[in-house]
Amino acid sequence: MTHQPTTPQFKANSRAAIADGGLQEQMTKALGNSMAKRAYASGALPEFDQLRDAARDLKNHTLAHLDLYLEAYESKVQADGGQVHWAETAEDAREIILNICRSVDATSVNKGKSMISEEIGLNDFLEEKGIAPVETDLGEYIIQLRKETPSHIIGPAIHVTVPQVREAFRTHHPHLPIDRDLEGLDKLLLEARAELRAKYFEAEVGITGANMLIAETGQSVIVTNEGNGDLSQSLPKVHIVIASIEKVVPTLEDASTVLRVLGRSATGQEMSVYTTFSAGPRREEDPDGPEEYHVVLLDNGRSAMVGTEFQEMLRCIRCGACMNHCPVYRSVGGHAYGWVYPGPMGAVLTPSLIGLKQGGQLPNASTFCGRCEEVCPMRIPLPKMMRHWREREFERQLTPAGTRRGLRFWASAAARPGVYRAGARLAAWGLRLLSSGGRVKRLPLAGAWTDVRDFPAPEGGTFMDRYRPDADGKRGAKR
Amino acid sequence: MSGRVRILSRLRRSLSEEAGVTDEERREAVAARLRLAGAQTAPVPEIARTEGAAMLERFEAKLRGVDATVTRLGAMADLPGAMVEELRARNLPRAIRMGEEPDFAGLDWAELDATRGVGRLEEPATLSRGLCGVAETGTVALRSGPDNPVTLTFLGETHFMVLKASDVVPGLEEMWARVRRAGPMSRTVNLVTGPSRSADIGQVLQLGAHGPVAVHVFIVED
Ligand code: SF4
Repeated sequence: MTHQPTTPQFKANSRAAIADGGLQEQMTKALGNSMAKRAYASGALPEFDQLRDAARDLKNHTLAHLDLYLEAYESKVQADGGQVHWAETAEDAREIILNICRSVDATSVNKGKSMISEEIGLNDFLEEKGIAPVETDLGEYIIQLRKETPSHIIGPAIHVTVPQVREAFRTHHPHLPIDRDLEGLDKLLLEARAELRAKYFEAEVGITGANMLIAETGQSVIVTNEGNGDLSQSLPKVHIVIASIEKVVPTLEDASTVLRVLGRSATGQEMSVYTTFSAGPRREEDPDGPEEYHVVLLDNGRSAMVGTEFQEMLRCIRCGACMNHCPVYRSVGGHAYGWVYPGPMGAVLTPSLIGLKQGGQLPNASTFCGRCEEVCPMRIPLPKMMRHWREREFERQLTPAGTRRGLRFWASAAARPGVYRAGARLAAWGLRLLSSGGRVKRLPLAGAWTDVRDFPAPEGGTFMDRYRPDADGKRGAKR
Repeated sequence: MSGRVRILSRLRRSLSEEAGVTDEERREAVAARLRLAGAQTAPVPEIARTEGAAMLERFEAKLRGVDATVTRLGAMADLPGAMVEELRARNLPRAIRMGEEPDFAGLDWAELDATRGVGRLEEPATLSRGLCGVAETGTVALRSGPDNPVTLTFLGETHFMVLKASDVVPGLEEMWARVRRAGPMSRTVNLVTGPSRSADIGQVLQLGAHGPVAVHVFIVED
């Protein structure tokens, strides 16, 4: 499992992904009805758009007072007997977690699904230190066996085909009869369930992420469908929550508002199967639950986003809708993005977290079709923020020389209307010449486009030819 | 400690000094907002505002919609008998695991092997007392504790939950009101909406991923 970003190779990664027929087929299958499910669930709730506004507003309010809400949250956690640890960097977070594990002589750690764990590269680190991390979310378990990273923030294994799952189980469950029947999907599920069930009782430490932190009550919230996160936090002696600082919301009512848009946007569910609010360790009279409760609050670049044009990204609730609806993500898959967060949200967030030099290619992974912003439950202006990154990339001369030359050439032509119009007419004429049936299949200098899709041929004159001032000076389409 | 100070002061600088708002104003805004706890400031959807018989109907319909099953009982005393029937119909052993819930303690469990305690590795059937049922989504809210050990909710292959009809509420708002009224916050508040499921293998939804394969709710008239 590698956490070394391959983001700078985004173009090469994408080319390879598009050439990979198996992946293409799997992505089409896996994301098949994700858009329809969201559309149905959101359409069935007349107040959905009002709730999106409310969710946006409550998160804006929280972010504008983030320091104070974090302090309020911290004191509530402590009042319930929990401990809060502040991690400025990924490295700090790893060390804090290692120390907690060592304090109880942990040899194995159960993990509920957490993107923050991926962000800090926790599994590799724990393994190096002799502690075995066991991913218990089914999708995470499959990719852990295959030594891969997630390709989707809520469906980490959507790129994996059924025969590949079968192969992984045969290889990694060598204690089971070699000739056992693994044909049906139910057989695969049962085997994973049995394998993991025993492991829940073995680990000394359980680590989960958090979808939200509640300032009012000091609770951490996980939203899942499998129940693995709950077994991971209820059975071991120690429960560690890893959460990034922007996860806090003020009250339980605010949590309800977020929940009402989260499930519908993510999977089209009105409510996920398990939504669990946890506070502190087990109470004195409790017969089960962890004896210790720790929360690791991760910054890792987020506090520096506050007060900048990227602050709005911190409203993200990781529902995955933007990637489900992104034509780029849908054709290249999650791994091409080269780091933890793929799709439109990844394209905006990644440069903030690992730097523009490493992540600067990603904001270019957009056709600016605007679908991500249309569906984002938190109304995050993702295309606008991608443009901000592109501008910064250009200013900082990180844009490749060829692209810079091209842009400069275009800029000088655009400043001379006569030259520009002549050029546009020439181009339209050229494109028509190259086209057949309204499509251009091969375009000199634009192979990157036409190798994977056709370019539409212009139907009439240029835009300026069709859009001239009328006789009375008013502008309007020429009829 | 220093990480904490650095994170918080970085936030404070951007949010206070550079934003031109005093810390005092911001503190007041936060205190005012937290005082609103218990009152929903966002719109409450129509589906979270049903009442009476329509509310109970919606709750049942929503439960079925998330692959749970439901039966109504005339009185709490009918629970052990109904449980025997359910276990038989599901081909499960005549055994049930539960916590110290007072509502269950006075019942006659003689026909069943009824044990009390936390969840174990193999738990064919477990029983919990829900705090309330949410008609909006078919959700059952549970408070963990000696009465309802949290592990029973997740380790039972079939998980039975009991609610009184008067425990059913229209939406999440009234649910939180009941949670707040129930006393100090339990270690967990679990919102359960149907049996466990996963689509991680082949993107085909299957029930019973790690938690229960089946969820059954008894609604007791009161
Ligand atoms: S950016 Fe919006 S749509 Fe994308 S994951 Fe975040 S909240 Fe969901």
